[in-house]
Formats: sequence, C-alpha cells, structure tokens
Amino acid sequence: MSEMTRPAMLRFPKLFRRVDPAVATAFACIVLLLIFGSLNEPNFLSPDYLLQQLKVASFLGVIATGMMIVILLGQIDLSVPWCVAMGGMMACAAAAFGPVGEALAIPFGIFCGMLIGLVNGVGVAYLRIPSMIITLATNAVAQGLMVVYTGGFSPQDSATAAMRIIATGELIPGVPNAVIIWAIIGAGAVFLLTRTTFGRAVYAIGNRERAAYLSGVDTRRIVLIAFAISGALSAFGGVLLAGYASKAAQSMGDTYLLPSIAAVVLGGTSILGGRGSYLGTIAGVILITLLQSILSVMQMPEAGRQVIYGIVIIGMLLLYGRSPASR
Amino acid sequence: MEAESEGRTGLLFRMEGISKRYGGVRALENADLPVTAGRIHAILGENGAGKSTLIKVMAGVVAPDEGRMLMDGREVRFSSPADANAAGIACIFQELSLIPDLSVADNIAISDPPRRFGLIDRRAQRRIAEEALARAGASDIHPRTLVKDLPLSRRQMVEIAKALARNPRILILDEATSALTATDVTKVFSVLKRLRAEGLALLYISHRMHEIAELADECTVFRNGRKVATYQAGTRTDTEVIEMMIGREYSNVFPPKPARAATAETPPLELKKLGWTGRLRDISLTVGRGEVVGLGGLDGQGQRELLLALFGVLRGCTGEVLVDGKPVSISSPAAARKRGVGMALIPEDRKTEGLMLPMTVRENLSFAVLDRISRAGIIDHAEENRLIDEMVKLLAIKTAGVDIPVGALSGGNQQKVVIAKWLMRQPRIILLNDPTRGIDVGTKQELYQLLRRLADAGASILFYSTDYDELIGCCDRVLVLYDGRVVRTLEGDGITEHALIASALNIDGPTSKGEAA
Repeated sequence: MSEMTRPAMLRFPKLFRRVDPAVATAFACIVLLLIFGSLNEPNFLSPDYLLQQLKVASFLGVIATGMMIVILLGQIDLSVPWCVAMGGMMACAAAAFGPVGEALAIPFGIFCGMLIGLVNGVGVAYLRIPSMIITLATNAVAQGLMVVYTGGFSPQDSATAAMRIIATGELIPGVPNAVIIWAIIGAGAVFLLTRTTFGRAVYAIGNRERAAYLSGVDTRRIVLIAFAISGALSAFGGVLLAGYASKAAQSMGDTYLLPSIAAVVLGGTSILGGRGSYLGTIAGVILITLLQSILSVMQMPEAGRQVIYGIVIIGMLLLYGRSPASR
Repeated sequence: MEAESEGRTGLLFRMEGISKRYGGVRALENADLPVTAGRIHAILGENGAGKSTLIKVMAGVVAPDEGRMLMDGREVRFSSPADANAAGIACIFQELSLIPDLSVADNIAISDPPRRFGLIDRRAQRRIAEEALARAGASDIHPRTLVKDLPLSRRQMVEIAKALARNPRILILDEATSALTATDVTKVFSVLKRLRAEGLALLYISHRMHEIAELADECTVFRNGRKVATYQAGTRTDTEVIEMMIGREYSNVFPPKPARAATAETPPLELKKLGWTGRLRDISLTVGRGEVVGLGGLDGQGQRELLLALFGVLRGCTGEVLVDGKPVSISSPAAARKRGVGMALIPEDRKTEGLMLPMTVRENLSFAVLDRISRAGIIDHAEENRLIDEMVKLLAIKTAGVDIPVGALSGGNQQKVVIAKWLMRQPRIILLNDPTRGIDVGTKQELYQLLRRLADAGASILFYSTDYDELIGCCDRVLVLYDGRVVRTLEGDGITEHALIASALNIDGPTSKGEAA
C-alpha cells in the first residue's frame, strides 16, 4: 500500500509537504498585520491596495531570492545595495546608446550585477575570504564606480520602455507585470532548489561543507554560481526599480539590504545555512512589505518608522528566527 | 640523603575503583592507580584501553561515574580542570594548547596572569616565564618570542614550562614526546629526571617502548578499560608487556578469507614514494583486484593522511599514484570519484565528514551519485528512488522511510548510509577510514561481510582500523605505519595481534626486517 501512496507524495511539491513551523508563523504574522492594518485604515484590505503591496513586494522578492540562495550556503551577500543601484544605472546607461543599447539594456544591467557576484564568489570560494568582508568590499567598489560614472549626481539617463513595462505594466489585466516576473523567478528558484543537483549541493554545503566536498562535489563552483545568481538577481531588482521610477538613483539600493536578509530569515531559512524553503521567503517578503506599508499608512515620521521597523525585525527574529538555527 | 628522599617519596595520590561509561561503552572500569612522589609512572595500553579517560578523570576534564580519588590521604573531587590545577595536577597533552600569536610569557601565564592595578603586570609575568623556562631546561627561549615563531619541538618545551609555572605536584605527560625529534626527546628526558629528583610525581603515557624503558620507575598496563597490572620497571620483558596489552579472545565474526594466488595482473591501485610534508614518507604500496589491504599501527602515524592524500584532499603531495598501471593526478575528491579512477572514501567521522545530518536519508544516500542520475543538472527522481530502494535493501538499513533526517538513525545505520552512498557509484577502489568506530557489534559483523563481498566482486580495498581484531579478521595483508612510513608488511597467517603490536611499537623483532618495504 505504501508503494501506491509514494508516487503521489512525490508529485506533491516538496515545499508544502512538511510545513515548517517558522513558515507557518510568518504567514500567521501576515494575517495579524492585515487585521491590524484594516483596523487603522479601512482601505487596507481592498484588492487594489493589496495588489499594490504585492507589486512593491515583488522588487524585494526578486532580490531576496538571490539572498536566500547565498544564505542557504551559510554565507551572506552584503553587496546588495550597490548591485541594485548598478543594475538600474547600467541598464539606463545602456539605453542611451541607440536602439541596440535599448534592446540590450536589461541584460546588460543584469550582467553588471552578475560580475560583482562572480567577484564575490571567487573571493569566498577560491580565496577563502569571509563573505561578510568580500561582499562589503565589492559593495564599496561598486559604489565608487557608480559615483565616478555619475559624477556624484543623479544619473540623467532614463529607463527604456521595456524596463517600464516589466515594472509597471499589466500584461494580464489586473495583475502587475512585476508580480508575474517575481512568480517566474520564484518558480525557477523552487525548481532549482528542489529538483536540481545544484539545489541539493547548496543545501548540503550549508549543512556540512566538508561532507559535501568529500562526496566529490565541486563545492567551490557551487558557491561561485550561487553568488553570481545573487548578484544578477540584485541587479535585476535594480532594473525593475529603475523601470518603476523611470530612472535610476544613487541610493536606490540602500533600503534593500536589511529587508532582503530579514525576509529570508523571517521566512524560516537558517542564517547558518542548510535549511529553509522558498515558501518561507515568499512569506517573509510579504511580511516585510506589509510592515513597511503599515508604518507609512500610520503616517509615522521617517525616523520613528526606522526605529520601529528595526525593533519589530529583532523581535520577530527572537521569537522564532533563532530556534531552528541552533539545530 | 637517604632519609630526605624517603620523606619525599610517600604515596601522593591514589585512584580507587574509578569507572567511567560513555553511553553503552565502558571506557574505564574499576581502575586503581597509585601515584608516588619522586617517581615516574608509565601507563601502557592499546588504543582505546582507557588511558586517556584515566588522564581526563585525573585532570578534572571528565567526572567519574564511580570511585574516588585521594590526595595526601584526603578525598578530592574535581569539577573542572581548574580544580585539578589548584590541587597540584598539571597536564601536558599531545595536542599543543599554546596560542600561536601570543608571546611565550603570555602563554605560560595565561591561566592566571600576575595583575597590578587590574592590568597584567608584564614584568612579573616575564619573571615567572623565565623561571618556568629555566626549570624546564629551556632558558634559551626568550619570553617575548611569539610562539608561532618557534619550531615545534621548542613549543613543546614551552608547554612543559607552562605546566611547571603552576607549581604542580603531579605532572601528567600524555604522548608529549610524539612531536619531538630524538635529540629533543633526550633533552626532555633529562628535564623529567631532574623533576623527579625534585620530588614531583610524573605520569608518563607513551607508545614508545624504549622511552618507557629508559624513564619509568614503575608501569601500569591497561586493557579494555581495566587495569591489568602494576609492576616495577625492568621486571617484565617486552613480550610479556605486549601479552598484557593484548586483549580479549576474538570471536569468529569474520568471513573466511579466500586463498589468494600471486598474479601478474596490474594492480588497480599502486603508490610510488608518496610523501606529504613530513607526515607521510616514501609510502609505496599496491592493492590488487579483490584484495583487502589493512593499514595498521598506532593511531596518528599517518594512516588517515594516507587515505586523504589518495582521495585528493591534501595539497602538496609528492610521489606517484597509478590506477590500472597508469599515472593519475587526483587533485580533489571530485577527480577521485571519476569513472576512470573510481575511488570512494568512507571518512572517519560520519557526523562531520560523511553525512549532512539534518538532511533526509534520501538526500544523503543519493548525494554522491547525483551526477549520474541527472540530466542537465535536473535530478531523475524515478531513478533516484530505484537506486535508493536497492541500497536500503542491500545493506538492510533500518529507517522509518527515506524522507526523515539521517540524524535520527542509529550510529550503525548512519554508517551504513555513508557506505551505501558510495556503493551507489560502484567504486573500484574503496578507502575506509576506521569505519566501525562507535557502531554496534551486529552492524560491525554486517560490514565485515560486506567488505569481503565487495572484494570478491573485484573491488580493491584499503582499510584503516584502530581495532587490531578487525585488521586480523578482515585483511589479506596489513601494512603497519610508524611515523609516516610503512615499517612492516604482514601477510596471511603472519597477521597476528602480537606481530601487529610489536611492529606498531616499532620494536625490532627478529623477523620484522625482511618484509619491510
């Protein structure tokens, strides 16, 4: 009989098969935030508003996807802010070079972010530099390069039509394109993490790098690829943001570092690596976005918003973010 | 003079009926040990005989389950190493405990640096260090030198000085000379003899029989956690000592070995003059098709390094590795497992090297074979399930399904998973690094049968074990390593416990030279 039930079990997506308590908690927090938000602002539960939130969340979602893969390895990517900015700026810069530039704007922006990711990956995997150091350093280098490029002012190039469409358009009426993009990237991430040898290796390295290495897996290559993906997705997030705002800005990525890490960890991924599901990251991203939204709806001044935002994240991590990590 | 030494040599410390259990394993059972001031007391025994547990109990590192310890006739209890220190017991372990980036003086005074106004009094600290170094016979070492700038043998002297700075009454040396060269050993010995004359009690643990013969006043032999005998040094022959160390009768748990005819066939694995940073020297060996070759010797004589070097883990190896007669360069485990080489390594520590404990049985089992059951990086789940089912049945792995964390399995079944994960690749050369450590007898027997089956099916097996019975029962040949060299090759009926221990201790028996490679 067990022979009969087994294939059915396998077809059932892995991320639903065992619902992590942390993921469940994250979803419960989302519900609580929605209730709390609707008490303050009656429009909070309207479809328009929620869709708007989902659209905003998708930018963070794309960036957090890359961050999640790196965190699953037991590493961290602190170069997110300027990978985002570089992605947006380079895509806009390419747009200034006629029709060819316009066509290649999006891939070029992503490519630039991937380069930073590759440098991070080489540093972590081959030169054995702690990821916290190397990614912070490449972030500074990317910042420097962008400041030199723009001369310290906001860049004047604007986003291409394609960038605006993927960020703000609605190919399917009612569903923002950005959400579709996030859905595609999310599906890709789930596939990558659960169905491929790369995904298995990522979890294995996060759990026990030595065992993975002694199993004959080229662990350094896996780490390199993971950082490249993270850089590319950060830059893609930047491309989307530039499309959303019609142009890139100097500090457009600064507000994405902490949220991307927090979203991943709040979603139940162990900060020590090796454990976590993409479903949790989705929950974490939505949770963070709603939190930011509620704080702005409550018309909290910026300074107070930052303080509360930080405190809430620390509180949530204390609540459940640490217990799985101690396993 | 006579009266003075009499006054110093009273019974200083005594262990009575000390027992210690780790889970189901009895590490020490009803052990007695008298320690006399002004004497050097040697402790002998095989790997796992209980020596290190004894030392740990004395040093306050582990608490005994039963028994008591008396110091100067009064009962003492140590709840931490600091307690033991305060009572006057200092330990020098095989692994150095010095911090490389601190100075010699900082290291010597590290547990209790002299203070002045709450800050470390550097001048007093230096004075303490100088005194301790002089007492250890190493006054040539400058207290301000950084430990990392000292050669290994000098660091060992600093270690001794560090122990002496605590003014111990009992000094324990656990394999403290194993890192030293012969000239340094001579120096250390003269220091130890002087300390003995000063009235210290010394406990000396070493595998080197000639050192014990030179130093010890009395010896105690341990076997399987029990004390066998305490005797005055020089009253027993080496053979008698080895017989005391040889343990239990070994039961017939091993499968029969097939008769092996000499063949001219190219051996699947051949090593020529393999070396690695002084830890492995000029190791040449062959492993034939269907042959189980054992690596013997005391723990830490280079057996692990040899297996890791073969598997491409160690950098900077010299010499040549030939697979099927063709030289290969194995730069990583990934290269070692490739089809042309077909090597597998069952690592020493399944918890950190063999398995990803929180991951499922499935994910662990198929991890080494993923490249063969995937297309363009996408795992073929049907094929994965088929292979996993096959392996779970073949090795009779007891598990409540393959989707539970492998960490939930018993030790023996975890070890089966480690082995199964490599058998999936159908390796031609299997390296095993002490694979039966910490698993139950039943599983051990299954593994012995499995090894023989694999060999009969044509695999070449290189097998390191710290258990002499296993080497005797499983291996067609045993190479005994000492200090990174193969010192002796035992074959067929020549693989006896006596021969293994004698060659492991590098005592030159009358027949040992002939077969040395």
